[in-house]
Amino acid sequence: MKGVSHNGKALLVGVGLYIVILGPIIPVIIQSFAFQWHWPDLLPRVWWWSVRADSTFPLAWDYVLSPYSHVFEAAGNTLFISLSVTLLALILCLPAARVLVSPHFKWKTQILSLFTLPLIVPEMALALAFLAVFIPLGLAGTYTGIIVAHLIPVLPYMMRVLVSVYQGLNPAVVEQAQLLGASRWQRLVHITIPLLLPGILAGCLFTLLVSSNIFLITFLVGQGRVETLPTLLFSKIGGGALDATAAGLTLIAMIPGFILLLATERHIRDYQRVGAVGRSIDGSHR
Amino acid sequence: MSRQHWLSLSPVLLVMLLMTLGTLLFAVGQSLGYAPQYGINHFPTLRYYELLVAQPSVAMSLGLTLYYAVVATFLALVMGFLLAMALLRVGRHHQWLHYVYKFPLMVPYLVGIALVIVLFGQGGLMARLSYALGWIDRPDDFAALLYSHYGWGIILVYLWKQVPFMALSIYVVLLGIPEQTQDAARLLGASRWQRWRYVVVPQVMPGILSAVLICFAFNVGAFEAPFILGGGFPDTLPVLAWRLFTDPDYGQRLSGMAVLVTMGAMLLVTVWVASLLSRRANRWQRISA
Repeated sequence: MKGVSHNGKALLVGVGLYIVILGPIIPVIIQSFAFQWHWPDLLPRVWWWSVRADSTFPLAWDYVLSPYSHVFEAAGNTLFISLSVTLLALILCLPAARVLVSPHFKWKTQILSLFTLPLIVPEMALALAFLAVFIPLGLAGTYTGIIVAHLIPVLPYMMRVLVSVYQGLNPAVVEQAQLLGASRWQRLVHITIPLLLPGILAGCLFTLLVSSNIFLITFLVGQGRVETLPTLLFSKIGGGALDATAAGLTLIAMIPGFILLLATERHIRDYQRVGAVGRSIDGSHR
Repeated sequence: MSRQHWLSLSPVLLVMLLMTLGTLLFAVGQSLGYAPQYGINHFPTLRYYELLVAQPSVAMSLGLTLYYAVVATFLALVMGFLLAMALLRVGRHHQWLHYVYKFPLMVPYLVGIALVIVLFGQGGLMARLSYALGWIDRPDDFAALLYSHYGWGIILVYLWKQVPFMALSIYVVLLGIPEQTQDAARLLGASRWQRWRYVVVPQVMPGILSAVLICFAFNVGAFEAPFILGGGFPDTLPVLAWRLFTDPDYGQRLSGMAVLVTMGAMLLVTVWVASLLSRRANRWQRISA
């Protein structure tokens, strides 16, 4: 009896979540395949394939998947920028995180609270200040400028994840290997790296996620010269209407999220806590 | 040892200091009249702040910004808490439940905006459904949820994105409470309410507070949703700053910076006071216990 009510509750929560979170995607899919969908029809009157032969102007998917829409270019840019940002953030944070967890180091709290600043300061303030500094440096509208600017919102996440990864590393295991005669290199390759790898991967997924979703900084620092999926989507729906091509683009812009959701669920699980709680404001509850 | 420490730390610290504190200083300087690149240098002057104070619409912008941020953050907290409790009850038996709700966390805000337009615009699916059910006759009979200063469209976008964030944060915090502390309190004769008030709440408070502050700060500083779904003049503060910054008159950019500096200062003070209060509450708790 208990099992039945338990399942019933789970089903209720599940159905509710599906309706609220994934339900709104259905009309976007329908819209992307619609040719005529006027008020007050609940479904399109004319679907795109029925007029595909004699349509003179590009329909949603024809357009979205054509070179004119710049979708592939934007997707490539999004991927390139987020991968570069992630790699850079990892290189910057890995040695720093190791120092922060060392018991001899006294400034941990202060430094970690410096890393919460980008979560509090308005993105617009950062973006406009970057732009103003980057223009004279020739970095505005370049990949380099965007990648450097993305570092700031991304570093807090990477730092938190890596600090907790190092905290979870038991120094006794490494010492044991040393006692058994493992060289410095052997300890690193066979002990430290395998132990840290899942956590590092989790941190990288977080930063990939954050970077690929950034709109405002890319929009302002990129000066319209570098399109990513979010900036392309903004140029389509910025007017407040959603036509068929905008619907197609919305669906494309969801793809990285879907992929990352599957990837994070597989790899992160235990590191969820880092992402959610790791962003504590002063780190004092650790 | 210590020199090695600082050597490992210095690259990332340099980036952070230059690009956060540096940009903040830059913004403050510009808002105080130092902008030689536009041929303007009245440093130091408060005239750009005075200009803002003199415009009644700026106060309305501030009010709107706070209204969207407070309402959205509060509703996200309540709904996120309920969702977290539900997830906790459901437990680990239904893995798929723990997947689905995180989807909004993974996509840009612009996706949420697109969904809200499709559903809640006056020609949107909800309006058509109301028509099919005979509740309304024309599109404009449907409540103006978008493009109005009530901002329900903006708040809906924030909720779609942030209820999952709150739920995840709260769920993780609740999971992290060791069962023994509750058992110990029960053995010591604490009532259900007392266990909740003196055992659960103090342990979950810091985590929840940081999630609330992150959402609030984001909502105050957000641009896309109020820009696309807002009701136009007066805009929220970030949109106002953007309009001032894109004005052909370069002098306006300094007013834009003044808007952003004011916002940033408000947020930093809010977060600072909140973390002070929470620390004091913790200390008080420890003393009284």
